[in-house]
Amino acid sequence: MKSLLAALAFTTALTAPGLALARPVTLTTTLTNYGGGGAYLALYVTDAKGTYKGSLWMAGKKTKYYKHMIDWHRATGGNAAEVNGITGASVGAGRTLEITLDLADALFDAGYTLHIDAAVEDMRESPSEITVPLTTSGAGKAVRGRRYISTFQYGL
Amino acid sequence: MRSTTLALLVTSTALTAVTGLPAQSAMPSLADATLGALSALNADHPKPQPFILVSDDEEDDDDEEDHEDDDEDEGQGGLRHQAPAATVTPPANGLFGNGTPPQVKVN
Repeated sequence: MKSLLAALAFTTALTAPGLALARPVTLTTTLTNYGGGGAYLALYVTDAKGTYKGSLWMAGKKTKYYKHMIDWHRATGGNAAEVNGITGASVGAGRTLEITLDLADALFDAGYTLHIDAAVEDMRESPSEITVPLTTSGAGKAVRGRRYISTFQYGL
Repeated sequence: MRSTTLALLVTSTALTAVTGLPAQSAMPSLADATLGALSALNADHPKPQPFILVSDDEEDDDDEEDHEDDDEDEGQGGLRHQAPAATVTPPANGLFGNGTPPQVKVN
């Protein structure tokens, strides 16, 4: 019996940190009524040195347009594998994109920055239209965009 | 002067007649060629064939490329189609946990 309890405690101790390593985070992006077609949005993260760490989401499925997400493309070389499994449809003007992701706790309060590159067909590209530090205190606070994005916020 | 000119004219006419007429008769005329071709065609069709108006419409829809299928392009990473959300696990870039798959909603 004692050995069973010990085994249970041991496995719980091993599992508990893993459960606490990530949490669901909702990223909400509302677009302006810019009067064009669906916007492509690349959401990705850089570290404190500005080095690309990885992508969180790609709104837009046609890889030939990925070059218009200028900063993301520069960081990734346009590698579509970076957004494999995290790709959805482009987002229409005036619409709100709400994504819920299971994100690592280590992303918050550690100097990471979330970027959003935006592009619309026949309109100007907008690299890093949103740049927002990932902090627990910044959760729920709306950030304004420059061109296509009205507001962005993340909720923990 | 006048007799000399007359002699030259007769000579040149005679030369033309001697050399030109056999050559011309040896050449099949365009009309003969056309008739020959039609005869060859009709050889397979004993009955007279009606004339058919052949359209000169240059439009040929079969050759037009379908530009709507833009999804067929290949990404620079060599991936032909990136998997949509929730169909495969997100990239192992250290940003994602192992919990719920991505959920997306557009309002």
